[in-house]
Amino acid sequence: MFYPHWGVEQMTLFSLARKNIKGNFNNYFVYFVTLVFSMVIYYTFTSLQYSEKIQESIELSDTMSFMFGVSSIILILFVAIFILYSNSFFTRKRKKEVGLYAILGLRKKTIAKMLFYENLIMGIIAIVIGIILGTLLSKLFAMILIKLMGSIAEVDFGISILAITQTVIVFMVIILFTSVQGYRLIYRFTLIELFYDEKKGEQIPKVSLISAVIGVILLVVSYWLILKPFPDEFTTEYLMKNYGIAFVALVIGTHLFFRSVTVYLLRLSQKNKSRYYRGTRIIETSRLLFRIRGNARTFTVIALLSSATICFLGATYSGYYSNEKRAEEVVPFSYSHLSKGPEFDSQVERIIKADHRHPIKAQLDIPVIQVKGILSFQLDYDINPVQLISESTFNKAANALNKDETVLLSRNQAAVIQPRFTEYTKSVFKGENITIQLPQGSSELPFVHMVESNVLPFDYPDFFLVVSNEMFAEIAKKEAPLTYKVYEVENEVTAQATSKKVNKLVGNDFQVSSSFYTEYKQGKEGNAITLFIFGFLGLVFLAASGSIIYFKQLTEANEAKGQYEILRKIGVNKKDIRKSIKRQSLFVFGLPLTVGILHSCVALYFTSNFISNLIGINLIFPILMAIVFFVIIYAVYYVLTVNTYNRIVNK
Amino acid sequence: MKTIVEAKQIKKVYGAKGNVFSALEDIDLTVMEGEFVGIMGPSGAGKSTLLNILATIDEPTAGDIVVDGINLTKMNEERLSAFRRDKLGFLFQDYNLLDTLTVKENIILPLALAKLNVKELERRADEVADKFGIRDILNKYPYQISGGQKQRTAASRAIISKPNLILADEPTGALDSKSATDLLESLKDLNEQDKATILMVTHDAYAASYCNRVLFIKDGKIFTELVKGKRSRKEFFNKVLDVLSALGGGANDVI
Ligand SMILES: Nc1ncnc2c1ncn2[C@@H]1O[C@H](COP(=O)(O)OP(=O)(O)OP(=O)(O)O)[C@@H](O)[C@H]1O
Ligand SMILES: [Mg+2]
Repeated sequence: MFYPHWGVEQMTLFSLARKNIKGNFNNYFVYFVTLVFSMVIYYTFTSLQYSEKIQESIELSDTMSFMFGVSSIILILFVAIFILYSNSFFTRKRKKEVGLYAILGLRKKTIAKMLFYENLIMGIIAIVIGIILGTLLSKLFAMILIKLMGSIAEVDFGISILAITQTVIVFMVIILFTSVQGYRLIYRFTLIELFYDEKKGEQIPKVSLISAVIGVILLVVSYWLILKPFPDEFTTEYLMKNYGIAFVALVIGTHLFFRSVTVYLLRLSQKNKSRYYRGTRIIETSRLLFRIRGNARTFTVIALLSSATICFLGATYSGYYSNEKRAEEVVPFSYSHLSKGPEFDSQVERIIKADHRHPIKAQLDIPVIQVKGILSFQLDYDINPVQLISESTFNKAANALNKDETVLLSRNQAAVIQPRFTEYTKSVFKGENITIQLPQGSSELPFVHMVESNVLPFDYPDFFLVVSNEMFAEIAKKEAPLTYKVYEVENEVTAQATSKKVNKLVGNDFQVSSSFYTEYKQGKEGNAITLFIFGFLGLVFLAASGSIIYFKQLTEANEAKGQYEILRKIGVNKKDIRKSIKRQSLFVFGLPLTVGILHSCVALYFTSNFISNLIGINLIFPILMAIVFFVIIYAVYYVLTVNTYNRIVNK
Repeated sequence: MKTIVEAKQIKKVYGAKGNVFSALEDIDLTVMEGEFVGIMGPSGAGKSTLLNILATIDEPTAGDIVVDGINLTKMNEERLSAFRRDKLGFLFQDYNLLDTLTVKENIILPLALAKLNVKELERRADEVADKFGIRDILNKYPYQISGGQKQRTAASRAIISKPNLILADEPTGALDSKSATDLLESLKDLNEQDKATILMVTHDAYAASYCNRVLFIKDGKIFTELVKGKRSRKEFFNKVLDVLSALGGGANDVI
């Protein structure tokens, strides 16, 4: 045969490497699947990032590219760590093989080259498969994203050259890096080390009561710091100190928990002889005990990352989930604008009336007087200028918005509308009053009421006062009111075209948009993108952590084959062995998951300080969803692990 | 006297069509209660195969085996497991200890699996540990003890459940002569005092001289049988050596 480009030595090496892969496919399989999985994920994500279709259908494309950019870096880190992890796992299993080549007389350089080719072949195949699968998946994910955003767009199978180039570059770098690791394996170890590595075997861990106690204390302290009631006023320094310490304590505490506390508990369970010496429990407990140290770091990382994922997922989901409510609060009417003369006003009115798909349900004028006011008490909110509206206007507006709030005031009384994004309660205003300064002198109005229905789009400061009709009329004589025109239309969530036209005409009357649709849609898109990205990253993390445990268990199963054979020989039946495998796997999957869920509940309690303050919605449902999602995926991995493990040791 | 093992026309064939290999051919074997039977033969003769079949770890291609009145060929997996656990003690050539259990836990494992109560279990553990002189290593792990200690641990595990039948595959193979003698003496005690029935595969004529009767297997068939009778151990030892040299090959294995 004639190979024009390769020297003879290289060709034989190349084919040796190829044979190697073909020969022990099982050994390579797990690593290969990791590679493919990572590439599929990465390619899918980048091709979404560069998809023009998606960018077109989004009104906030700047936000999107920023979010995608940041996440793609996180994803690279994640994928790199995942590949390096599986690679080191894979190489460890092959130390002996490398030793064998060395004994057969291959030079280190030659072995290194061979491993390099091997890695390269696998990498290239994985990239090809990854891009093919990724193309299919990216369509699916694009549809999910577009659905989440509530847009309508056709997605086709686009092949993005940019995404392919980026994927190839990223993975070539990673593969190069793993090859370097392979070189290190060959050059760093002596023959004897390569051979005896597998025999080294884990040793029984010593019980360290001190570190177990420290672990528990650290966990308790960090929980306490996190759960401590949120102070009314806080500085960055306070936040850093309190939660910085809490975080460090949580990380170390979790590690010690897996490393020492579980060892201690397992040891303790061995003390109860009549339980321990009964059936296969003796086998499971001792196996877990032997391996817990080796798993502690993985468990820690998994528990912490899964709590972070649940947390983010819960928080973003709740944002998405509550978007309509939030938009409704920020922009109560479908359209609102400041009256700028009859000609302008009727121009706006014509546009809105022309939209027959969204007929007007209510249309009213809201006169507002801006005055200066002084409260009879200290409130950490900038109230000036105070916006006055009349009792009847408020009642009409609330009615038009289907809110069952009405106010009834006598001449001198006032009701406050709760400023948006605050949590002031009725009791804050109870018994207090406000002094309004008017050109003709000031007058003191006692608060008799606090309502929560807003009538105009948000603008800072958001301090509205409802006053009696007589009072309003009196003040209006001196201080001319501004008139806002508001419209409520049917099916406002779809009024895209009209909203665009109105926005263009009206300009920036408020800090937020003047039409509900825009506020709603932008919020939905922003939330959808965050939700999508966190969901995507969460899914990747879940799959990765599940497979890491799965790989670990598989490797362990291969090592423990002989041990299970012994058990069979001394008379344990297959059913009992399966049961024993189940119990062990349950522990291995359940422990980090349980700790992760516990941590995330605590962390979410902390985040809810911010979130519900802002939007005032219930976090329980979204969080429960995130947790259930986690549990289901882990359950799938658990079943997979039990079956494979069982197939390996219990045929 | 009661018959403990009765094997009839045992056949074992390895391999599939075209490339079959017959490891055992029509073996008949009867062992009475309280016997100490040796099985010898050249490497590859089928000794381990026979023992594994009797231990129900392996299945015969054809033939019937009755142990203690129970027909093994008619049992399902679950009952076979229970049979192994309750009636058999198996001493493996390569110890087969569990790495993650201490010596003591290894020894009591069959009893724990049978869910015996803890008091009885502890009592028996002490008893066998004394018998084999391994009391002071009870809390060590297999990776911390010597080969001889491992073999004695394995022996303790094999007898702790007071099995009707003890099967041993080259139990002295990895031992120095002192440890080997200790182990053989313990087996002899078990046989004489506890009336345990023992079936032992060995390459070692010295070990075989501890038996009441030695079967010689060659190429999957029973070649001959030697009964100790009233002979002294020394005389019996020489007899065994004679047969081995007649058998060919096997004698080379004697160290
Ligand atoms: N799983 C198997 N598949 C195919 N052939 C087998 C298998 N197990 C054993 N054999 C063959 O059966 C024959 C008997 O093997 P066995 O292990 O019983 O020999 P043995 O008498 O115990 O030898 P030794 O003294 O070396 O242990 C051997 O020729 C062996 O190659
Ligand atoms: Mg053998």
